[in-house]
Amino acid sequence: MTITNIRIGIYLCDCDGKVSKNVDLSKVKTAIQSQAEFEYIREADVVCGTAEQEKVAAEIDKYSLNRLLIVGCNDPFITRKFVQLAEEKGINRYSVEFLDLSAVNSVEAAVSAINSRLGKLHLREQIGYEELAVTPDVLVIGSGSEAAAVAKAISKNQPVVRIDHETKKVVGVDGFPGNFTVRLLENGKTSKHSFGAIVLALGAQPQYDAAKYGGVNLDERTLSLSQFINADKNYAGKKISFVLGKADADSLLSFAAVLKSSLDLKGKGASEVDVIYDDMKVCADGLEQEYELARKKGVNFLKYDGEFQINSASDGATFQYREPFLPIEATRVAADYLVLAEDFVPVAATQELAEILDIRTGPGGWFQKDNVHFLPIKSNRAYILFVGSCHGPIHGTDLYNEIEAVVAEVSAFAKGKAQVPSLQPRVEAKKCAVCLTCYRCCPHHAIEIVHGDEYDNMYNSAARMNPLACQRCGICAGECPGKAIQLPLYSDQEVLFEVKQPAKIVAYACENSGFLASEFAKTLDPQLQKALQIVEVPCSGKIDVIYLLKALENGADGVMLLVCHKENCKYVWGNNRAEQRKERAQALLNQVGLGDRIEFVHVAANQGNQFNAAVKEMAEKIRQSGTNPGKVVK
Amino acid sequence: MIVAEGKPVEKILEMVAPFKKVLIAGCRGCVTVCLTGGEKEVGILASQIRMARSKDGNPIEILEQTEERQCDAEYNAKFLENVEQVDAIVSLACGIGIQYLGEKYPATPIFPGVNTLMLGANIDVGKWEERCMACGDCVLDKTGGICPITRCSKSLLNGPCGGSQYGKCEVSTPAKEDIPCGWQLIYDRLSALGQLDKMKEIIPSKNWLRAKGPRTYVREDLTLDRS
Ligand code: SF4
Ligand code: SF4
Ligand code: SF4
Ligand code: SF4
Repeated sequence: MTITNIRIGIYLCDCDGKVSKNVDLSKVKTAIQSQAEFEYIREADVVCGTAEQEKVAAEIDKYSLNRLLIVGCNDPFITRKFVQLAEEKGINRYSVEFLDLSAVNSVEAAVSAINSRLGKLHLREQIGYEELAVTPDVLVIGSGSEAAAVAKAISKNQPVVRIDHETKKVVGVDGFPGNFTVRLLENGKTSKHSFGAIVLALGAQPQYDAAKYGGVNLDERTLSLSQFINADKNYAGKKISFVLGKADADSLLSFAAVLKSSLDLKGKGASEVDVIYDDMKVCADGLEQEYELARKKGVNFLKYDGEFQINSASDGATFQYREPFLPIEATRVAADYLVLAEDFVPVAATQELAEILDIRTGPGGWFQKDNVHFLPIKSNRAYILFVGSCHGPIHGTDLYNEIEAVVAEVSAFAKGKAQVPSLQPRVEAKKCAVCLTCYRCCPHHAIEIVHGDEYDNMYNSAARMNPLACQRCGICAGECPGKAIQLPLYSDQEVLFEVKQPAKIVAYACENSGFLASEFAKTLDPQLQKALQIVEVPCSGKIDVIYLLKALENGADGVMLLVCHKENCKYVWGNNRAEQRKERAQALLNQVGLGDRIEFVHVAANQGNQFNAAVKEMAEKIRQSGTNPGKVVK
Repeated sequence: MIVAEGKPVEKILEMVAPFKKVLIAGCRGCVTVCLTGGEKEVGILASQIRMARSKDGNPIEILEQTEERQCDAEYNAKFLENVEQVDAIVSLACGIGIQYLGEKYPATPIFPGVNTLMLGANIDVGKWEERCMACGDCVLDKTGGICPITRCSKSLLNGPCGGSQYGKCEVSTPAKEDIPCGWQLIYDRLSALGQLDKMKEIIPSKNWLRAKGPRTYVREDLTLDRS
């Protein structure tokens, strides 16, 4: 949707004197008035005050404004307030821009920052909302208690189908969130079903590892914890000793299971119950109470340290160990049954489902990569969610929190329709060569190839991004060899407009890391930012080779890419793509002797100092390479 | 699909050295799909050349244009306005497109911006493999659907040479990853298909002699008489 009649209102807010102490706002106003295109401009002392808000509302009507540029601060409270006001007046949030002038200290700098924002507002396409029909039904995959719990919780809001992935298996998934088509195999027959969302609750698989217990094999009297639990025998009058801490060292699942079993045994008349442990882990909801209760009921808690020896005979088993607190050589516990904790490993179906669903596994083969940006329940695909131990053993409150989060997430489809802002990339069919590059590079499986007469190229086909699946990283746009893809709010036009007259150093900064670090860095060393221009991108994977070159061609001396740490890109591999593009761009510079002018920096949001250090390093690099001789004088 | 790679820019800079205004012409066909000559690469090369020439104190003006296919005259007609303004053209289409665009505008020198490599498949993002050498007399029916001309490093037609070892071609070097022996692939496929007897059939040597000059292809049933 392009809007032909763009009417921009500019508000120059002094933020209660904060801005005018550095720059003369009336001079800024005069300068803008003489050069820029807009409908209305005025200064204000505190434009966020109630009286002012009413005035702004009236002005929106009076001048028929349909876009706003608020120059002043960037306070989230105030931006929210303005967005609300704008939306009440029918201007949607994507047509309102805020510009923070608090770090700017010259009229020229202020004017150029305003012009740059204004230009973007002019170029921006109008963003609408789409209402999509979705299937409320949710598929839960898993046979254990975790799957049962999440299915039950979801079923309060919308229909749920639970399958165990054994008797009924998922063999294929097509489509997108809200309308996944899942192929299920049962008794040798496949059938197709429609689901809005898919929840994986496979649980974890206990696995006995003899090596952890000095090579002891399981037998009649020495059992693994899961054997013990599954057998569910009558142990009245027997002595049971549990051994904890050798296996499953990182999770609480065994500790929780042992405490529960000890209490059960006590209740059912076992003669004695020991829990032999090295470190007692009770740091989850309710475990501490169970531990206290077990002690009260007479469960013996025995601490061991280091070496131990297990002997199993036909009438019982012994555990010999060193007591860390008593000055005795060895302690020997004899029991009717010795129960050994196991490790937890991903269930066999984890890898298979990962491939079928195009989602990823991480360390240890569990679902999901190790990445600070990933919320626990989220996979790389929207509305394919994890709950419970299938992404690493969890227990208690953590599990309930996940279930709650999943219920909230899938409830978006409960009413059979979903409203989304239309922010997914657009493909200009005329330019699409249907090369599949975007389709293959999208980390979120959000792209399909569609066919029809309306696609005016030689294939009558084009790539299309699904609004519910797309996470707006812009990686696809950065890859497209035909320049057919534009990401709303970050179109090539908008981004390249910002570097038309670049500062000495242009830093393309990922909004999840580099940009936040730059905001922090400003407060640490405001001087350093003078020769620096930050260009925000949604993900470093949006930084096109051409962005790097254009900044230099237009006169920057150096370009930086500020990206998330390795393995920590919010969009899976955006930072790796950015690094590959940096290598390419630097090679292109080297080929024509333009020197080392591109810096690639991994930085987290809280690393303001590292950010400043990197900027200094870039400045030094430029000092050595000299000013950019490749600048093209127009 | 035709697969090409970008030509080293120093070569391109040499070609355009005498000129002040140049058109870089992209193609939305094969070379866009193989990520070498679409609108994006046109932009990148243009920017790189502009900077290189600025650095040398010899600025150049570059126009950029990409059209559907440079192997069709109708699409090449779309370049007219820009061609009229420039001293030379650098085409990022395959060798066919470069020549064909050049034929359309014989008064303007045209230069290749790419090296045309092969007829290949796109194995994954950024990876291509040759599958056909357009020999003009296809033998895939006899070889289990695997091309001996392309997949055998020596284009042998009747079984492997003595250098086939453990399924690898002797041409493999540490620098170039293991090359599977084409005839081993053919043997394996035929044996899986239960058609090993096809190996016994002698494929006569091909006539590579191009006595008739460049190949042409005419279908009388389709040619259009415009008179
Ligand atoms: S990468 Fe570009 S040209 Fe290729 S399929 Fe996607 S939109 Fe089309
Ligand atoms: S913007 Fe990102 S998530 Fe959306 S389609 Fe492109 S690559 Fe996929
Ligand atoms: S000119 Fe070459 S690259 Fe372009 S479509 Fe034709 S054959 Fe393919
Ligand atoms: S035999 Fe090989 S080179 Fe010849 S046409 Fe067939 S595939 Fe192509």
